[in-house]
Amino acid sequence: MPAAMSAEEDLADVDRVLAGEVQAFEGIVRRWQGPLVNMAWRYCRDRGRAEEMAQEAFLRAWRGLAGWRRESSFSTWLFALAANVFRTELQRFPAVNVPLEDVAEPAGPATQHDGLAEKQSHDAVRRAVLALPQRYREPVVLYYFHEMDVAAASRTMGLPEGTVKARLARGRELLRKRFPHLNEQIAPLLSSTLPPKKEVLQ
Amino acid sequence: MKPNMKPTTDDAAIDRILAAEEELIPSSGFLAATMERVREEASCPKPIPFPWLRALPGIVLAVAVLGWCGFEMVRAGLSSARETSFVQPHLTTVNVHALEPAGWVAAALVVPMLSWIFSRRMAGRSGLL
Repeated sequence: MPAAMSAEEDLADVDRVLAGEVQAFEGIVRRWQGPLVNMAWRYCRDRGRAEEMAQEAFLRAWRGLAGWRRESSFSTWLFALAANVFRTELQRFPAVNVPLEDVAEPAGPATQHDGLAEKQSHDAVRRAVLALPQRYREPVVLYYFHEMDVAAASRTMGLPEGTVKARLARGRELLRKRFPHLNEQIAPLLSSTLPPKKEVLQ
Repeated sequence: MKPNMKPTTDDAAIDRILAAEEELIPSSGFLAATMERVREEASCPKPIPFPWLRALPGIVLAVAVLGWCGFEMVRAGLSSARETSFVQPHLTTVNVHALEPAGWVAAALVVPMLSWIFSRRMAGRSGLL
């Protein structure tokens, strides 16, 4: 869906909801359920919990819809609100994760052609993100969620871009230290292209 | 990739893994469950706003009483400081002022009790109790 069309639809639905038409909120949920569930998933890596947290974010959005001042786009407001909800939820009940030092390092280069081993090694790196200290974890999560867009990640977190860049660099440094052989393992794959960007998150 | 990020080859490996996350599709009941919660929320009566107008006299009274208490405490403190002599033992002054704190303790107990009774009565009238 083109971003402009989504923005227009969001605006129309918000106006209808504010006019008292509860059913109009369904359009918002329909359009944003995927991004919000995926964002929540990256925060906790637990599917059931991700859906619960995304639902809570929608409910907060419903309650606070009148508070959207339309200075930023609806998606920016929604993502910022969702990030707040996820952060609070995870402070109350932290995601089950292990310390960064205890995250298993991926298997050696000998198994690089083994699809299962590769998947496991990638999962280990993704889980290691959850083991990062909170101040580095969130920039890493949101940077990759926003398809490596620092500006979008900083808007979601409500932090200056410079701060996000610094924290992101530190987060990646910690990951590199934890997985020193990552580059050798993934080198054959680096020649291939990165996955295409998701339109909905632009 | 933004040009100002200056990625290293190690970063490229991390980027490759973390950017290639598979997309999760919300479960089929997610939309319906969310809308059900929204409808529940919408059908709930709005929270009763705090009756500021009705509470205003009480607040003013409480502020006045507290202010008066503070003023009296400062005045009593100043006068006792004036009476206190650091040269001579002041046993008599101590004896005279021994019962003064008891009055304040009694007042400190009575005020919350009255406040509690008042709030119970208010809540009872509103049908909350």
